[in-house]
Amino acid sequence: MNTPVLQVEGLTKTFGGLTAVDNVHFTLPGGGLHAVIGPNGAGKTTFFNLISGFLRANSGSVIFNGENIIGRKPHEISRLGIARTLQIKSVFTGLSVYDNVWIAVMGQSRFLNPFKSAGSYTDVAANVEAILKDMGLSDFAKELAGNLSYGDVALLEISIALATQPKLLLLDEPISGMSPSETKHTVEIIRGLSTRLDVILIEHDMEVVFGAADVITVMNQGAIICQGSPEAVSNDPSVQEAYLGTPGEEDEEELSA
Amino acid sequence: MKTLQNLEPLQILGLIGALFFLTAPITIPLVANDFWVSIVAEIMIWGLFAASANLLFGYTGLLSFGQAVYFGMGAYGVALSIDIFGFSFWPAVLVGIAVATVTAFITGIFAARLTWHYFAIITVVFSLIFFFITVGWYDVTGGDDGLPFTLPPVFKAGGFEVSLLDLTFQYYFILAVVAGCFALMHMLLKSPLGFAFIAVRENASRAGLVGYNPYMIRLVSFVFAGFFAGVSGVLFALFSRSASAHFLFWTVSGEGVVWMIVGGAGTLFGPVLGAAFLIIVREELSLYWEHYLLVVGVIVILFVTYAPQGIMGLLKSALDRIFKREREAANSVPTVGEAVAKEGPES
Repeated sequence: MNTPVLQVEGLTKTFGGLTAVDNVHFTLPGGGLHAVIGPNGAGKTTFFNLISGFLRANSGSVIFNGENIIGRKPHEISRLGIARTLQIKSVFTGLSVYDNVWIAVMGQSRFLNPFKSAGSYTDVAANVEAILKDMGLSDFAKELAGNLSYGDVALLEISIALATQPKLLLLDEPISGMSPSETKHTVEIIRGLSTRLDVILIEHDMEVVFGAADVITVMNQGAIICQGSPEAVSNDPSVQEAYLGTPGEEDEEELSA
Repeated sequence: MKTLQNLEPLQILGLIGALFFLTAPITIPLVANDFWVSIVAEIMIWGLFAASANLLFGYTGLLSFGQAVYFGMGAYGVALSIDIFGFSFWPAVLVGIAVATVTAFITGIFAARLTWHYFAIITVVFSLIFFFITVGWYDVTGGDDGLPFTLPPVFKAGGFEVSLLDLTFQYYFILAVVAGCFALMHMLLKSPLGFAFIAVRENASRAGLVGYNPYMIRLVSFVFAGFFAGVSGVLFALFSRSASAHFLFWTVSGEGVVWMIVGGAGTLFGPVLGAAFLIIVREELSLYWEHYLLVVGVIVILFVTYAPQGIMGLLKSALDRIFKREREAANSVPTVGEAVAKEGPES
């Protein structure tokens, strides 16, 4: 069997007394769209922050393509082939859409020649144009990123992530705040991406997750409580418990009330 | 090729500015006192100094109150090389620039770890440390009294000799060095490195996520800024034939910041405009009123509040209004292929 793309062992992160990610074991075999769901505060974003180097784990390891990336800086992890988007959209607001993607493509180069004009990198320019075309942002190339609609900012952020030519793409609630038609469009794009690279998606919209994901991981209170196909997950009692509370507890409350 | 017909109005103004600087030693004496030629030379030096602060603040997002350190290092590098080691002109110039750049690298290792107010504070601290060392080390530096030196000739071949004592030659020497530095800075800012500076300024965490090391980018920017400040310090020492502990005081850095902001941070030539404007204000007002700095203060407050884009921003919007050129898209900004990210055409 192939080595998994991402292998997480005993990953733990505490903030003071709060354990945000609690001894998580997680394996991403590779191939397909993987969704991570869970109630607010389940530790999903913290989990991403640990993988992408935003936070240092207290313990545990994250093996990406055979390399332990715990303790690496975000830019090193980016160069290894993990790209991510943030829950609060993060682009270069004051720059044009084109320059946003251009900067991301150039970010992977080993040497930034200070004596060569940026305009002379024709291969980079072609790459940028191809990405913008793929994502349907060509018409906005000269627009300031800060002037885009919320949905287009999300698409730009995905474009920026793709510009780094990642092997693994982490998407943190990419469709939140989108209109239904934008959501449909974006989900199609994400489905398309998942055929050529590994995608892990954090999402709250259950309809989207159960419609699109191949595998779903459910987190609650910092731990993974369930993982499997959408059918298996939706039938798992522990998932219903996490989202709706323990039936027993409610009954007791009702009795005591 | 660009022809005069399709130049932007701002570029035409830039050409006029270039023409002014090129002909100042000839044209100024026709209309004003000769000493204004020296003022223009001084404006170029301080414009370069303010541009070094601008490279950090306007492009990399780091507000430095410590550029005087590298200015002073450049000045003392030249002064000590000539006065103590008896170096000739060019080696002394090179020593000055090298000392400033190396100092920027060493201090940058620490400063580039910080951003925003912490960065500003550490640069002030560096400034004070170097200032007090310079003041205290009187035997070598001359402290507050300064260290005057005798100018060695720039070129000497047989009986032929050129030195900066020839004021017209001095003017063109300063112009050539400053123009060269601005050409270099322009090249930097249009290069992938320049875009990395801007990426870090705009959103450092996003820059990190796409593969840039924000610390390294800040450090490189800091060293280049130290280099440019060093060159301006070298020029100023040659121009005033001395170096002084005053050069390193943080108020000198503060003036650079003020010139940059009044001129227009994030534009290539804004700092020169700011330096020109405020130095002319100083020269004119200080004759009549010793507290002219109060006027400067009011000017700065007005700019920061009502025209944060500085003189350059005012110029651009004025020109746009005058020429009312139908822009294809009001909000469109030039992309990499056309011009540097935000500033548009610079001249």
